[in-house]
Amino acid sequence: MSANLRTRREFLRTTVLGSALAGTAPAFLTHTWAALDAQGRDSAVAQTTGRDGTILVVLQMAGGNDGLNTIVPFRNDHYRRVRRRLALPEKDLLKLSEDLAWHPALKGLQALADTGQCSVVQGVGYPNPNRSHFRSTEIWQTASDSNRVMREGWIGRYFDHACQGCDPTVGVHIGRQMPQAFTARTPRGISVPGPARNRVGREPMAGGMRLALDEFAPAETPGGSIHDLSGASGASGSVLDFLDRTALDAQVSSSKVRDILARPASGTVYPGSPLAQSLKTVAQLIAGGLSTRIYYVSQGGYDTHRDQLGTHARLLGELGDGVKAFVDDLKSQGNLERVLVMSFSEFGRRVAENASGGTDHGAAGPMFLAGAKMRRLLLGQYPSLAPSDLVNGDLRFHVDFRQVYAGVLETWLKVPSEPILGRKVTPLKWV
Amino acid sequence: MLEPLKPERWTEAAAAHLLNRAGFGGPPSEIQALHRLGQEGAIARLVDGKGLATELPLNPPAWAHPDPDRVAKFRKLQGASEEERRRMRQDEQKQQRQQVEELRAWWLGRMVASPRPLEEKLVLFWHGHFATSAQKVRSAWLMYRQLDLFRKAGMGRWPDLLLGVTRDPAMLLWLDQAQSRREHPNENYAREVMELFALGEGHYTEKDILETARALTGLGLNRETQEPEWRPRQHDPGSKTVLGRTGPMGPDEVIPHIARQPQSARFVIGRLWRFFADETASADVTRGLVAEWDRSGGEIRSLLRSMFRSEAFYAPEVVRTQIKSPVQWLVCALRELERPLPPGPMVTGALRELGQDLLAPPNVKGWDGGVAWINTGTLTRRQQFAAVLVEGRAGLAAQAEGPRGQRLRERMAQQRKREDGVARIEALFSREERQDRQRFMAGLERRFLHTRMRSQLKDEVNDVLGDDAVPEPRAIREAVRVVLQSTDYQLT
Repeated sequence: MSANLRTRREFLRTTVLGSALAGTAPAFLTHTWAALDAQGRDSAVAQTTGRDGTILVVLQMAGGNDGLNTIVPFRNDHYRRVRRRLALPEKDLLKLSEDLAWHPALKGLQALADTGQCSVVQGVGYPNPNRSHFRSTEIWQTASDSNRVMREGWIGRYFDHACQGCDPTVGVHIGRQMPQAFTARTPRGISVPGPARNRVGREPMAGGMRLALDEFAPAETPGGSIHDLSGASGASGSVLDFLDRTALDAQVSSSKVRDILARPASGTVYPGSPLAQSLKTVAQLIAGGLSTRIYYVSQGGYDTHRDQLGTHARLLGELGDGVKAFVDDLKSQGNLERVLVMSFSEFGRRVAENASGGTDHGAAGPMFLAGAKMRRLLLGQYPSLAPSDLVNGDLRFHVDFRQVYAGVLETWLKVPSEPILGRKVTPLKWV
Repeated sequence: MLEPLKPERWTEAAAAHLLNRAGFGGPPSEIQALHRLGQEGAIARLVDGKGLATELPLNPPAWAHPDPDRVAKFRKLQGASEEERRRMRQDEQKQQRQQVEELRAWWLGRMVASPRPLEEKLVLFWHGHFATSAQKVRSAWLMYRQLDLFRKAGMGRWPDLLLGVTRDPAMLLWLDQAQSRREHPNENYAREVMELFALGEGHYTEKDILETARALTGLGLNRETQEPEWRPRQHDPGSKTVLGRTGPMGPDEVIPHIARQPQSARFVIGRLWRFFADETASADVTRGLVAEWDRSGGEIRSLLRSMFRSEAFYAPEVVRTQIKSPVQWLVCALRELERPLPPGPMVTGALRELGQDLLAPPNVKGWDGGVAWINTGTLTRRQQFAAVLVEGRAGLAAQAEGPRGQRLRERMAQQRKREDGVARIEALFSREERQDRQRFMAGLERRFLHTRMRSQLKDEVNDVLGDDAVPEPRAIREAVRVVLQSTDYQLT
């Protein structure tokens, strides 16, 4: 028996009986090692992309965020007319321009914007929008046209093009199911289990009895039927190859990740929300010097078909406060200059509210960018709410989301976007 | 008709495949018994429960009935102060969460122990298909009731099942139908019934959704009895056009109309085939199953029988190419190790970490399954839990962190001395197997893999067994753990 094998077995045994967030892979991988292709071998030793490269943090708002109540056109008459129950009172809003205001829960983002650390890309979408959560998520994850089904994700294609021979930790996803965006010809990226799933209904919000079906339910709903949206998934090659490769990646990365996460966290206080805790993990991994280019975190619950007000306020509060804590943490680490946060949601919601105090699936919506030097607060153009400008009751987009991807790829990750997005698009100018 | 399996191909391996897919696998003795019944006999046992000596009594959890105090609780709530209301709501939700945890363990217990595993397997299929989450429904009773609907109607005709689900209280809450009003109908259920439950994306228009939402108005939920209720004043009686049919349709017309679309047959058949057999059904398979669907009026029981009879179900590209779901992985392992379900919180916690939190699917589409089950995080966890299952309860302490983990580990170490895990694992193998290396290897394959080990795994097992001609008990246990941690074991 080789010494190596003995060590690994020892490792497995001590892991089982000893450590907490442990990563293990079975010993037979030692044999598999040689059988895997050269890239696999490289990945075990390479520390290529390094600790000084720029980092992108993708933040998914799953379920379809109501953009209209996120960046609020409070002076707009159409808004108040079609949102009789859901229009937010002007006095509560956080003004950001003559006509627009942040949702009151977005104090965190407002604070960042005031110090030039957050931008809003308005009216982002794509032609012939699909109103299925699943299909639209696939479209965002693969950067495909709405009538074209693709398997590989835009982040996966970035890895294939720009990160040949990279360590598997070049992409880190916090959560249970790898997003389709990571699907690649040569799959890379690891999953780090996130914080425990949100226990819904922890703290019922104050306020009188609501018109609820069940009085015992708290005044907020858990945000509908969408928690996580990972997009379609698929592996190339045989299932066994896929399993072997994943086991190998786990073995290569697990001890590194475990060691970093075992170190004491920074002094920054994060809120208790799952999103904030995921971002905290990301900040720890960045501080620990993991050579990751793309991190991916997700926040679910935006599918607000009914009783939207309370749920949406809670979600946006978690978003704003979480991102604020994250940016502050990175700043104190001295790493903020290297990090850009980009949010997206698979669609916005219908302009007109429904009769259940909620909104149905819509089209265009805003994206957020957060980082050290965000000079322009508003990018793009706010979609018109005039009935004649709507398409099937939904907002028209002005910025194609692939322009945002292109802007981030070219300006931030410094790679040509065309081979990754499979098309030439005008990158969004965001710096 | 689908080409049936040739009699000479009904082998023990074929019986193992059937038991894995139509149930949750089992030890060699069960597989042999199934094999002896012949293919028809085996299918009759699994699908119809024919010739079973015993049934597992349902024994529902004690709380699984409508809450008789519900109305009284409402009254009390209405008279209470804001502070009291908050406390009462919190208490109620805590109780519901505990009951949902009990329900998970109760259901898993049936999967492990039921002599009719297909019944539970099909409930699991429908749970994934109509993926409803207790996180929004917040009622253990209503979740139980939905599972019970799947158990009772899940083998019946598709239009009846779809109508039953449409009127199911948990579903009424889950997709907001309970709150839909005629003046501006809620589209949530109408959309998902077409996209996810009955037709699939691209087989309907946005207009079909709007019109279906109108047809469904009036269908609500009585919050006191927790029963579905018809509210004529909330119903939009006007004419609607859905998928080519026009008329003043209500739920009882529009749902069967959707369910009877030829596309609905193809869609549900595709989903069944993917769950029980393979990623995609060939054109031949689809054609054969559609014919069976038409013949039986969309009866799921008939479809399952046809599937399990067919040559295609036992094809090499089907057998052992499916990645086990976490539930399949766990229940299979327990049945192969011939051990009972560990305490509820441990298994439900494990499943949550492996990505299949029963009664709380990630979204209304359910679990994606296949390769989506596996990433570096979940595969590592599977390996850890496998070790826990083989090492006995001592291993469970390893999951706890900090001083609590330390204390647990010390206590468990004491316990392990009493708990004879080693002997139990040993008892899985005959005396001959234990005393002969080659036979032992074959025994591992027969019990856990139903195929030959790949050379890497064989080397690894050999390393564990050392040079002794007669493997030590400790080495036997380690070898079992190595097999359960292997990538080979992730497939069924």
